[in-house]
Amino acid sequence: MMDILTSFTFLIVAVGTMVLAFAGGMVGTISVMKGQSLIGDAIGHATFPGIVLAFMLIGVKETYTLAIGAVLFGILAFLAIQMITSHSKVTLDGALALVLSSFFGLGMALMSFVQGNPDFEGTQGLNDYIFGQAAYMLRSDVYLIITASFISLFILGAFYNQIRIYVFDPVFSRTAGINNNLMNFIILVVTILLISVGLKAVGAILIVNLLIAPAVIGQLWSSRFSIVLLIAGCSGSIAAFLGTYISTAGQDIATGPAIILTLSALMVLSLFLAPKGIMRRSIYKRRMGGDMP
Amino acid sequence: MIEVLLVLVVTALATSVLGVFLVLRGLSMTTDAISHTILLGIVLAFFITNDIRSPWLIIAASIVGILTVYIIELVSRTQLVRQDAAIGLVFTALFAAAIILISKYSGNVHLDMDVVLMGEVIFAPFNRIEVLGFSIPNALWQLSIILLVNAGFVALFYKELKLTTFDSKFAFIAGFSATFIYYVLMTLVSVTAVAAFDAVGSILVINFFVAPALTAYLLVRRLSSMIWLSMLFAVINSVLGYLIGFGYDLSVAGVTSFIALVTFMIVFIFNPDGWVNNKIRSMKQKHSFTRAMILMLMNERGHTRLTEREITAHFNLGRKQFDKHMEYLLINDYIEKADGHYTLTERGEEYTHYTRIKYELPI
Repeated sequence: MMDILTSFTFLIVAVGTMVLAFAGGMVGTISVMKGQSLIGDAIGHATFPGIVLAFMLIGVKETYTLAIGAVLFGILAFLAIQMITSHSKVTLDGALALVLSSFFGLGMALMSFVQGNPDFEGTQGLNDYIFGQAAYMLRSDVYLIITASFISLFILGAFYNQIRIYVFDPVFSRTAGINNNLMNFIILVVTILLISVGLKAVGAILIVNLLIAPAVIGQLWSSRFSIVLLIAGCSGSIAAFLGTYISTAGQDIATGPAIILTLSALMVLSLFLAPKGIMRRSIYKRRMGGDMP
Repeated sequence: MIEVLLVLVVTALATSVLGVFLVLRGLSMTTDAISHTILLGIVLAFFITNDIRSPWLIIAASIVGILTVYIIELVSRTQLVRQDAAIGLVFTALFAAAIILISKYSGNVHLDMDVVLMGEVIFAPFNRIEVLGFSIPNALWQLSIILLVNAGFVALFYKELKLTTFDSKFAFIAGFSATFIYYVLMTLVSVTAVAAFDAVGSILVINFFVAPALTAYLLVRRLSSMIWLSMLFAVINSVLGYLIGFGYDLSVAGVTSFIALVTFMIVFIFNPDGWVNNKIRSMKQKHSFTRAMILMLMNERGHTRLTEREITAHFNLGRKQFDKHMEYLLINDYIEKADGHYTLTERGEEYTHYTRIKYELPI
């Protein structure tokens, strides 16, 4: 066990995913509370064409360029969703599904172009961004994740009070002189940033879980915003550590999915055991005699 | 290669018929969840049968699809988790399980992850089946049956679907089982998604379900016309996608999905109630309102003779805007100009009278 814990690959991957999950959990809490959890899903899928396009234009598979491509397409996807929902009767649900799949389709079309074209070399690794290949994470990937996470948490800290008021009472926050659009924009930029740097670790499809699950766990255990944030961040980190350990110890277990499954297990446990969970509630119901309405 | 196009069109038709109801009921993301989780069913059944086209695959995957819907329901019914969060949690967990199974055992079995997830309709004709002496692609055969079943379901249960979609409370009172219709619909969605997975891939199939329906939704209000129109868009998208994808050697399903966004955007921008027309309409309204207000100002006592400076200062107009408005008002004979002063004509006064009525101002 010790030799796994001290091995270089394990440390790189564990540090990267833990920092990512910590920041992801905190930022995700805000979007879950705003009822925008699935926007993260759409953005995650939509970053894929950005990655392929960045590779096509620059020609190298370098961490930073690909991340920039991902961020740009994440923003583009969000703007498309925003435009569709605010200027037509299409609901958020429909707009998300449309944008998510169309952008992903564009990514696949570009991907098939790159793969069929002899001008581009080393296209093999691009698929890693769909499912994530944490085992191949480089030192530069981890640095990028740490930098992006610190930026995100710093922004979150700087605007903590404004965001808190905006999340719970948008009307009051506007009367109090807070720019709601700016707050929404900040939250989204931070979300897109974290998704883009986390793609290599957990992949475009599963990354949304890192945003939602810790948030839900946090909300089950506490009602105070600051504590929910802290629990979300910590549960994300714990799951990331355990998941990375499981995938390193077991044979042929992908790291991203292992983290997600660990997180899901924590989530199910919380659903039953947490103070607001199912078990406590049914005990309460029995004590009150019969079903609560 | 006409068979490839046929497979694509039949897939698009089979999915878009159901897609209309998914869009109207707000189930698009639930369907997205299903299209991801069926992978788990496919993997599990594949490990047992070792045949990618076995009917067991469809059955197992459909069961997982229904299970997904049920688990999402179950989680969100505890009221501890919002529905959208529940969707995101459930599908990622099941999808992660599927990926772990594949990565763990893919050494022993032949299951190409890319084909399952991305699909490649070009390969569809290689897997053939004998039907009534004709050799046709297996995918075409399966999807044609599913198209018939889906269209039959919509035709037979049209009334029930309509009622439960638009007014579930009334449907309940009238004695229709909304739950039954809902689960039959989701079963068909799962079966269709599974059958379509190797043609279009399990991620893009959601696009085939919702994109044509959403495009049609922008244009019409009647349910029946929405169904027909979405089928038309489905055919247009897949034909264009096929031509471009095949012509430039790109992923046909990928191109078709993107084309679907392009057609949606074109309709979104240019339809009679669309973005461009709304902008034009609001600009016209703004202009006519400014003109009415200029006339109203001139109708007030003490403002009957106004210079250009006074008007521009009052309404904060630019030089160009002022000229445009004044030209319009002069040509239409609402005002007249004499030595640098503007005054109302009789016609203009009449107009202000109507303006007061229109904006419900005291006359």
